[in-house]
Amino acid sequence: MKTNHTSIVRQLDVLILLPALLLLAIGLVSIYSATLSIPNQSFFERQVIWALMGIAIALVIILSPPRSIYYSAYIWYWLAIAALLTVLIAGKTVGGNAGWLRIGSFGIQPSEFGKVATVMALARFLSDSSTRLNDLRDVGKALGLLLLPWVLIALQPDFGTGLVYLIIFIPVMFWAGAEMFLIIFLLSPVIVGILAVIGLYPFLIAAVLLVVIFYLLHRDLGISLFVLVLNLSVGFGTQYFYNALPEYQRERIAVFLDPTRDPLSAGYNVIQSKVAIGSGGWFGKGFLHGTQTQLRFIPEQWTDFIFCVPAEEFGFFGAVVVIVLFLIIITRGFYLASQCDSPFTSILVVGMVSILLAHVFINIGMTLGLLPVIGIPLPLMSYGGSSLLSTMIILGILLHSNLYKHRSE
Amino acid sequence: MQRQDFTIEKKRYRRALVVGLTLALAFVLVYKLYDMQVLKGAQYGSQSQRNAIRRVAKDPARGLIFDKDSSIIVNNDISYTLTITPFEFDYHTLGELVRRFDLDSTVVTVRLRHGSRVAEFEPVKVKRDLSYSDIVFLEENKHRFPGVNYMADIKRSYHMRPHMAHLIGYVREISARKLRDDSTGYYRPGDLIGYGGIEGFYEKILRGAKGYSFYTVDARGKVIENFDHGQEDIPSVEGSDLVLTIDLKLQSFVERLLRHHRAAMVAIDPRNGEVLCFASSPDYDLKYFTGQTPLRVWKDLIGNKDRPFFNRASMATYPPGSTFKPLIAAAALQEGVITPATTIYCPGSYTLAGVTFKCHGAHGNINVVLALEVSCNVFFYKLIFKLGLKEWYRYGSMFHFGKKTGMDISDENPGVLPSHKYYMQRYGKKWNIGYLVNLGIGQGEISVTPLQMAAYTAAIANRGTYYKPHVVRAIIDRNRGGAQPVDIQQERIPISDDVWDLIHKGMYRAVYSSSGTGGSAALGVVRIAGKTGTAQNVHGRDHAWFIAFAPYKNPQIAIALIVENGGYGGDAAAPLVAAAIRYYLFHDTYTSSLTASPDSSNAARDSMHIVTEP
Repeated sequence: MKTNHTSIVRQLDVLILLPALLLLAIGLVSIYSATLSIPNQSFFERQVIWALMGIAIALVIILSPPRSIYYSAYIWYWLAIAALLTVLIAGKTVGGNAGWLRIGSFGIQPSEFGKVATVMALARFLSDSSTRLNDLRDVGKALGLLLLPWVLIALQPDFGTGLVYLIIFIPVMFWAGAEMFLIIFLLSPVIVGILAVIGLYPFLIAAVLLVVIFYLLHRDLGISLFVLVLNLSVGFGTQYFYNALPEYQRERIAVFLDPTRDPLSAGYNVIQSKVAIGSGGWFGKGFLHGTQTQLRFIPEQWTDFIFCVPAEEFGFFGAVVVIVLFLIIITRGFYLASQCDSPFTSILVVGMVSILLAHVFINIGMTLGLLPVIGIPLPLMSYGGSSLLSTMIILGILLHSNLYKHRSE
Repeated sequence: MQRQDFTIEKKRYRRALVVGLTLALAFVLVYKLYDMQVLKGAQYGSQSQRNAIRRVAKDPARGLIFDKDSSIIVNNDISYTLTITPFEFDYHTLGELVRRFDLDSTVVTVRLRHGSRVAEFEPVKVKRDLSYSDIVFLEENKHRFPGVNYMADIKRSYHMRPHMAHLIGYVREISARKLRDDSTGYYRPGDLIGYGGIEGFYEKILRGAKGYSFYTVDARGKVIENFDHGQEDIPSVEGSDLVLTIDLKLQSFVERLLRHHRAAMVAIDPRNGEVLCFASSPDYDLKYFTGQTPLRVWKDLIGNKDRPFFNRASMATYPPGSTFKPLIAAAALQEGVITPATTIYCPGSYTLAGVTFKCHGAHGNINVVLALEVSCNVFFYKLIFKLGLKEWYRYGSMFHFGKKTGMDISDENPGVLPSHKYYMQRYGKKWNIGYLVNLGIGQGEISVTPLQMAAYTAAIANRGTYYKPHVVRAIIDRNRGGAQPVDIQQERIPISDDVWDLIHKGMYRAVYSSSGTGGSAALGVVRIAGKTGTAQNVHGRDHAWFIAFAPYKNPQIAIALIVENGGYGGDAAAPLVAAAIRYYLFHDTYTSSLTASPDSSNAARDSMHIVTEP
């Protein structure tokens, strides 16, 4: 058994393992730098503990029997739903989100793990030989699997994480072989509904655009018109109910969707984050010499704005290194997905990689001011146990899948 | 189990799509990073500097001014200034502040806007010279006015009897215009700056240099520490003190002497160019200009038609009249145009091209010394033609006419010394030799300041050394300690001693000869040489000039005086100059010569038998 384990470790995909370990190290160093000026804290030490725990969990996953994920997929899914229900009923509020479970002195966010579990369940369902993606009932079941945890997260409310759920649904369905028009048909009411809260024009433009795409993909004028009517009624309906809410609740939702409305908190972060990154120049100001970072111009930088640290202290060079390392993991993951013989593993890997891609792009895009600040962490780098553990689980699944990619169920 | 959806081809196709999308997203991020960090890096860099490092200016104390005996004449008093820090300020409280402190809300708004643009964390000075009750109010209501504070500042206090208003100049808040013109970026709104006189000229020396402390601050603007342990701090440099050459007693005496005239008197030590007195009348008391000027005083000064703010000593110009004759005589003698024996016939008038120029008597055949003594116009009408405009101009320039003397005060009028070029520019080809006639007696286009006349008189007195007049004798650098004497600058005027003998003789006789024009300046206790002058004034009564130096053999003081609308120089100006000389040399306030008629002083002079040339 022991020799077997050693050979497994030798077979691990270096192009996933090495960039991941490097990013983990860069993340720890960045957290060290960002929290250096705060007295009496232990962010760095705590993150090291999380990292060690994460490596242990990843090893457990890697060493688990070949088909264990396939068999346990629904178990994890329902466990996650149970955890999400628990936080909703008895959760602890941290940073405006009531999404925390307390275990000893460590807080856990079930929504982070829920993503992984939901992708497992979707992969299991979509890879089932009896599932027909041209059958609306089966598609509806898949959507149900997605929306059940999504609703629980939206109720916390944690819009950012919820958005990631919706986004990863698209590549998972696409990879599973669903027609694109179907995916758009399913998601367009949700997108339109959210945009309707922001304003009349965003949702009208989105509704029309989505229907045009839908028509181009699926040339059926009748269904296209139905989709348009559906989208418009969802949009206007949302606006009606939204406007019926009391002023303060509306404002809270609006700021939640568009943080620049509140320049003193969320908008302020983006401004300072851009200054931090921009002032880094080609090679940065040097480790521990980033003025924006060291003087804490970005509140809680070690969580969602951790990318500013390498970008400010190591400049364009440091920032590109981080992006390239993520890019290696993600493209390698997609490559792996295309190699997997088992549909379940293939879809599972795509889902896992999509989670990483969504997080990396949205998080970095948000620090660069390209995307609104929706508060989702940067995998492997942001401070926080749940994010790090769930990322380590994802990496464990990728490495595990790589070992058994030529096995079919 | 191989499903239709999972053929190798379909997976490769999907892989190409998702990897392509991933690369596109990565490109977007890298491009944005390149744009921010490389293309706009410098811009973000300076923003990050401004963000984190706060500069606080420290005003040094302004230098003091001492008289020649090292007693303080211009000092600093503590004063409190209302400040607003734009970054912290709550604009809703502006209205109440304006009412409570009687501020000009436009001025405050403009300053705050300027401040928030230049350095929004630096306090902006809003109102000077706060009262005790203002301070109490601020202390009690601090919490209600975020960003509003007060700081210790200075205001000038004056400790001398004489006013010396035009000489000292004043200190006040920098004007919007000066602030705009300040290319160095040193000044901020509300900063003090010297205007006019010594305060203006020595601004950089008196003000010193502001110091700056750098602090690193956190996101809330709270000071964390001295930036780089204060190593980057720039200590303020204290202003240097000035020691003046002014003789306060003489200045005081002269100011009283001129009190009821529109007049200006400048006295210079001919041995070194030190300005002994610099008076322009009427003047004003600087003490009203240290803080808030009382409206009544301001209205009185502004409404006064004699224009007390006008510095007649170095900004007003008048034709020199006959006081210019010694210069022409010296030039003609030096250039060999005439000899001491050359005589010119004066029939009482001179006619040129049908225009008759009058003399004040028919002097007959007279030589140069006699011409100076009686101030014969015809002699000089004819002499100027022999000398020519070019030489006249050249000698005039040597005595700094038509250009600034270079005295160390900020406001000086160069006057006009017409040249050939000047006439061509002004009149084209129309001008003719007739214009020269007036120049021969110091009238016409030429105009000079009393300061220029005093410096000229000093150069005559010391026989051809033109000292740049200066009022600051030494600068005391408070950091290095010790008084650093100011370099005395001098120019040698190439006129020989024989010529000077004749000029001096003529000027002596002008005072002491019975036919001299300056008889009313004759003193018994000391011998004076002088020259009267009358500046023609088309607007009213002529202006009276008198220039003089004394003692005759070893001159210690050279004086020029103009009395506006005083009429004939020998009457209005000469006795005042004599009184000043007497006071300076003997500290004797005996002023009988002021009231004595020219006749009686002549009688006194005759009885003392000093009419004979010594």
